[in-house]
Amino acid sequence: MSLRDWYPLALSRDITPGTSAGTRVEGHEFVVWRDAGGAAHIWEDRCPHRGMKMSFGFVRGDHIACLYHGWQYDSEGQCRHIPAHPDLDVPATIRIARFAVLEAGGIIWGCFNEVDGNLPRAPELPAATTPVRSLFIDCPAQRLTALIADIPFEGSAPNVTTRTGRIVGITLGDNVLIAAVQPVSGSESALHLIATGALESQHLKQISTWSEQLRREVEALTSKDNDGEIAA
Amino acid sequence: MSNPVLYNYDLDENCYKVRLLLSCLGIEAETIAVDVFPGNEHLSPAIRAMSPKGSLPVLKQGDLVLHEAEAILAWLARSQKPDKGFLPNDPDTFAHVMMWLAFSARELDVAVRARVTAMMDAPGDIDALRSGAREALRIMEDHMTRQHFDDVEYVAGARATIADIALFPSFALSRDYNIDHDAFPALRRWARAVRRIDGFITMPGIPDYH
Ligand code: FES
Repeated sequence: MSLRDWYPLALSRDITPGTSAGTRVEGHEFVVWRDAGGAAHIWEDRCPHRGMKMSFGFVRGDHIACLYHGWQYDSEGQCRHIPAHPDLDVPATIRIARFAVLEAGGIIWGCFNEVDGNLPRAPELPAATTPVRSLFIDCPAQRLTALIADIPFEGSAPNVTTRTGRIVGITLGDNVLIAAVQPVSGSESALHLIATGALESQHLKQISTWSEQLRREVEALTSKDNDGEIAA
Repeated sequence: MSNPVLYNYDLDENCYKVRLLLSCLGIEAETIAVDVFPGNEHLSPAIRAMSPKGSLPVLKQGDLVLHEAEAILAWLARSQKPDKGFLPNDPDTFAHVMMWLAFSARELDVAVRARVTAMMDAPGDIDALRSGAREALRIMEDHMTRQHFDDVEYVAGARATIADIALFPSFALSRDYNIDHDAFPALRRWARAVRRIDGFITMPGIPDYH
């Protein structure tokens, strides 16, 4: 797996302690989960037993359990308990691949290249942020990043202030936002939106409405692109 | 008053809505199993005498016979344990509950059909049904996102109502028709809130995290 950069995967707020969710980067499946102590983990979304998704499972304390036959893994990814063989000392080879994780700007980031020691530089984001929401959009990440400024907010055009890799700084009216774009697959993206500073619920709702319109218009354009390709 | 009688099929999500509310209200019902698949027993004259389309659930109490899950939920909430607040009197909240019940009966019907098509090989264009279901789930996701901005955990307000009960199964069972929960963070948070309602029970396809 290349994926040598930091990829945004979820808003920190949306993965509360004791919960998990599945996600994808360029089509590769991962589970993001947070243990009861508050630490976030990113693993391959595949149980070594029969290959079922770990993201369907559930968290208990600092273990995550597979939904299917209850195999339990500790935060190192090591299988610790097999309900069908409760007395078995589980072999060290039964473990799940883990990946580097960090939280910055209220977003959980993952890096999937396992070359030791040499992680890329962490994304630089303001410390005081308000999470807005994550949206999943049927549109390739690059195209989404290019289109993001095209959807008016309360009648005026957004102003894109910075674009660094997957991070877009964008001003909507008085709101200063950061959009982190996750390439979910070749045709899908997730947009993780945070605002700098504190924001009232009324403004969060306006931004949310804007983002829904963005999703509608971007998907309409993308499906037109695709129809064009089929016709061509 | 005798216990209500529920004509039930365990795998039917509309029957589950009624079982779930009964459990949350703490009411015992007499359950009569109807063999929908493969028996087609819901199309029998006996059921059709109570529910012309042969749709389940059907609830009977004395002379009262009700079909349509939304109507049954409303009747149970209002007549059995009104103090539990599952159908609030306050006009604004009441209207919001009605709005989401209509949504569940109309917009989420594609989700019900997507699941039956995917699981029981019922006729239907699964791709079209699935994309319709996703559209409906997105509307719910956008709504719950707004609720959460105000720290409101349920569909129609701070407390659970029959709107939550009516909307829950289509999301909780979405993996049955191949829609993951990954893209719905606000619905995941809401589903956890629904699981916290006193008396919450599951159905086949909705995991019980033991
Ligand atoms: S597939 Fe995970 S425990 Fe069996």
